[in-house]
Amino acid sequence: MRIIVPIKQILDPSGLSFRRDKERMFINREEWIIDPGSKAAIEAALRLKGEEDEILALSVGQPRADDALREALAMGCDTAYLLSDEAFAAADVSVTARVLAAAVGRLGGADLIVAGRESGDTGAGQIGPRLAEAMGYAQVTDVVALAIGEDGIEATRRWGEGYAMVEAPLPVVVTVAPEAFETRLPHGARIMSAYREWDVPVWTAADLELADAALSPLLAKRAESFPPELEVGERFRGDPETVAEDVVAALKRQKAIA
Amino acid sequence: MDFSFLDDWTEEEAGPKLAEVGEGYRNIWVAAEIINGALSSATLEAMGQARDLADQIGVYVYGVLLGDGVEALGQKLFAYGADIVLVAEAPALGEYQPETYTQALACLVEQYRPEILLLPATHLGNDLAPRLAQRLNTGLISHCISLSLDMSERLLLGTFPVLGGEMYHTVACPEARPQIATLEPGAFRLPYEDTHRSGDVELVEVNLGEARGWLTWVDLDAEADLPTVPLSKAKVVVSAGRGLQDAAGFALVEQLAEALGGVVAGSRGAYDEGWISEEQIVGVGGKEIAPDLYVACGVSGDVYHTFGFQNAKLVVAINPDEDAPIMKVANVAVVGDAKLVIPALLEALAA
Amino acid sequence: MDFSFPKEYQLFRRMARDFAQNEIKPRAKAIDRDHTVPHDIIKKAAKLGLLGVPFPQKYGGMGAGETGYCILAEELGRVCSSTATVIGAHIGIAAMSIHLDGTEEQKQKYLVPLAQGTAIGAFGLTEAQAGSDAAAIKTTAVRDGDHYVLNGTKQFITNGDIADIMTVMALTDPSLGAYGGITAFIVETDTPGFSIGTLENKMGIRGSSTAETVFEDVRVPKENVLGGFGAGFLTFMKTLDVGRASLGAACLGGAQAAMEASIQWARAREQFGVPIATKQSVHFMIADMAVEIEALRSLIYRTAWMIDTGQPHILEASACKLFGSEVAHRCIDKAMQIHGALGYSRDYEIERGWRDQRITEIYEGTNEIQRIVVAANIFRPYGLRIPT
Repeated sequence: MRIIVPIKQILDPSGLSFRRDKERMFINREEWIIDPGSKAAIEAALRLKGEEDEILALSVGQPRADDALREALAMGCDTAYLLSDEAFAAADVSVTARVLAAAVGRLGGADLIVAGRESGDTGAGQIGPRLAEAMGYAQVTDVVALAIGEDGIEATRRWGEGYAMVEAPLPVVVTVAPEAFETRLPHGARIMSAYREWDVPVWTAADLELADAALSPLLAKRAESFPPELEVGERFRGDPETVAEDVVAALKRQKAIA
Repeated sequence: MDFSFLDDWTEEEAGPKLAEVGEGYRNIWVAAEIINGALSSATLEAMGQARDLADQIGVYVYGVLLGDGVEALGQKLFAYGADIVLVAEAPALGEYQPETYTQALACLVEQYRPEILLLPATHLGNDLAPRLAQRLNTGLISHCISLSLDMSERLLLGTFPVLGGEMYHTVACPEARPQIATLEPGAFRLPYEDTHRSGDVELVEVNLGEARGWLTWVDLDAEADLPTVPLSKAKVVVSAGRGLQDAAGFALVEQLAEALGGVVAGSRGAYDEGWISEEQIVGVGGKEIAPDLYVACGVSGDVYHTFGFQNAKLVVAINPDEDAPIMKVANVAVVGDAKLVIPALLEALAA
Repeated sequence: MDFSFPKEYQLFRRMARDFAQNEIKPRAKAIDRDHTVPHDIIKKAAKLGLLGVPFPQKYGGMGAGETGYCILAEELGRVCSSTATVIGAHIGIAAMSIHLDGTEEQKQKYLVPLAQGTAIGAFGLTEAQAGSDAAAIKTTAVRDGDHYVLNGTKQFITNGDIADIMTVMALTDPSLGAYGGITAFIVETDTPGFSIGTLENKMGIRGSSTAETVFEDVRVPKENVLGGFGAGFLTFMKTLDVGRASLGAACLGGAQAAMEASIQWARAREQFGVPIATKQSVHFMIADMAVEIEALRSLIYRTAWMIDTGQPHILEASACKLFGSEVAHRCIDKAMQIHGALGYSRDYEIERGWRDQRITEIYEGTNEIQRIVVAANIFRPYGLRIPT
């Protein structure tokens, strides 16, 4: 079985801080990491991998995404490809999906594609289904448990108030819930080999035969803004019922609860 | 596997120019969803937004429903603001299948050409919308928490959270049509049911072509065993202090944690009382955590404890003493007895 | 001159830090309080290849050299000195001695399981009357057919009671003394005649076992002579020389942790209406810690580089241990002062750090011995020879 795992490299959010009053984001520590959703996807793929299976990691990114792919190799992926080109710089999620589809096509397709449900930075959650449509594969999203069954995969996905178990034939795209898979640490020897012995080929727009027109984004960012400031020391007094309602309203306003 | 789609993109001119495609697209659509035999509240929120947008531009709201035997539910969309309701009925649409629903909606979109299509960002919507957007070669603004219009360009503007909700981006789909957006459930007002509004549902045919329902829904009520979230990584933490007085008080903290989907912790006092284990102590000598929400119940808030959650995003404190140190660091400081406030909170949350 | 770590080391540091912070740190207090070696943590570390960091991959190791090993030691030293000591003795002196002086057969038979963590190692040199005066050992090894028979008692052996394999220094010719009379042996601890005596009740690093190991007619095959026959002194000196760099790295981790804890506490603790972090007395203490830590960090990783590139390094490695232990001492001491009464409480990690640190100036060659080593190496180019 060939499993392809598209991964995204993001800026570590724990190195960022935000001042809502100043409407500014500060990068206290610039560290680039594998997006937690992507990491969960690698983990899910590794758990399925048998002797005969291979896992290929792909990433659309800047040259620095090479590090994310090396980490994916260190975790246990067999090969990795960096899809990088100046022409991808303005990519939105639809362009990224297109680039990934072209790469998957060039690799000859896959039996299973596993991706994160959404990324920790932009959180669009579109890559999985877009890729499935582009490739003409089945799709199952927001999966918390995954196994290979008789005729394809058996996946437990979030559905309704709880979960649903679905079966899908190969080839299929699966997106996984980051919190459902405890990711493993890479073995030390593989970390060394990932940088010293193994290759991460780079494919450009030309390698993927993608013309500029195919790379223009469909979405345009118009503005950035910040959520309202969190007040400190707002006192809530009164009888428990009223106070409780006020508190719940305040928490909803602050988006602390749904 | 058919890779002919790549042929379009290898040429210099890939497909029709999008500027032309923009013209001739009109009206605002809501792809309605049925949950537990009724229109989902997320659908109704989307209807409310569609009505607002349509009123601003001066176009119609279409409610669109796919399913099998759903005509009567489709009828209800009028009361929530639909001017026209399209219902596509087919046995194949009786259960959600990504391929068949994508095909059905794509077929209708290509026929009627809506300028804006809204879907709820529910499990179904999140699964379907990106596939549909890819099929239609258009943009999708997902997980929106608010919508507005750029009237000068007649563009939908969708605002959604990024970076874990610390910032918002506002995005438009300038040229491709329809402009698709998914709406976060609960982020929008629920419109009133206007029973004076009514109309006749239009039953429409969709050509499902080669589309197949590939998924087998084996069990709609399945169980899953997710790894327990450790205290150090929990996003919501409800904490107990000595002010809870006894085990019954502590039990309320456990209930509140469950209601909020959070994890239980406590001060050293709670540990000394035997309510929590050593691993659950927050503070100096315990854990240092940075949850999104920290609810401190019956905790006085000396520095040995507050040190443990100084990086929490939002702190709620419940304490009868309004001058307790914890009240100075809390964003929401409730002056009251936790044993009375927590049950009231549980009720308010369940409502 | 590029002072940055190559990328594989950066990724390795993240992995080691992740492991230390998530698996070990939450257990550190209990490990110390319960006075037990955390075997499950050691096993998890082995699964990630952490028990063979410096050794070549063809012997089951990670192939990360001394640089990689110092990175591991630093990250372990940040969270738990006991675990750092258990793993440090295993890698840094036990397995290291076989790596440095073993034959190909010995490496295949013993280094591989040690590097993979399927066997635990210990290093048996010290005796009751032979500490700094290592040459004064009395354990004997007498040839009998194809074996050597070992008799004697080793003291203060880290991992002594949990080790499967031990490299032991014994007298093969008392008349020759240190040079020519001592031979190193690889001993499998399940050999009859090997037993454990007392376990030390230590002030610190209580999660590591420090044992008396007794040899009563322990028969060791002649193939297990490690290094040259009669050249045991050279074997153990070589091993200790290299081991010192990583000890310094563990001290670096401990010093760093002390400084970070101090900064976090000073931010939170208010007195006279302001956080104590705003007070100049605290600024000066933190600044002194930071400067020493920077200097130590440069020393450690330059020394590791010298070791990895095959350059002479005895002076630098000795300096790592000497300076590292004393920097750690000053940092944890300042940290305790900044934490005030909280630093004195057994419920918090500072007092454990204080107790754990003190041994670093004593073991692995006391700091007095280190000063002698440094002096000898500094004087030599000037034509002065100091007997060590």
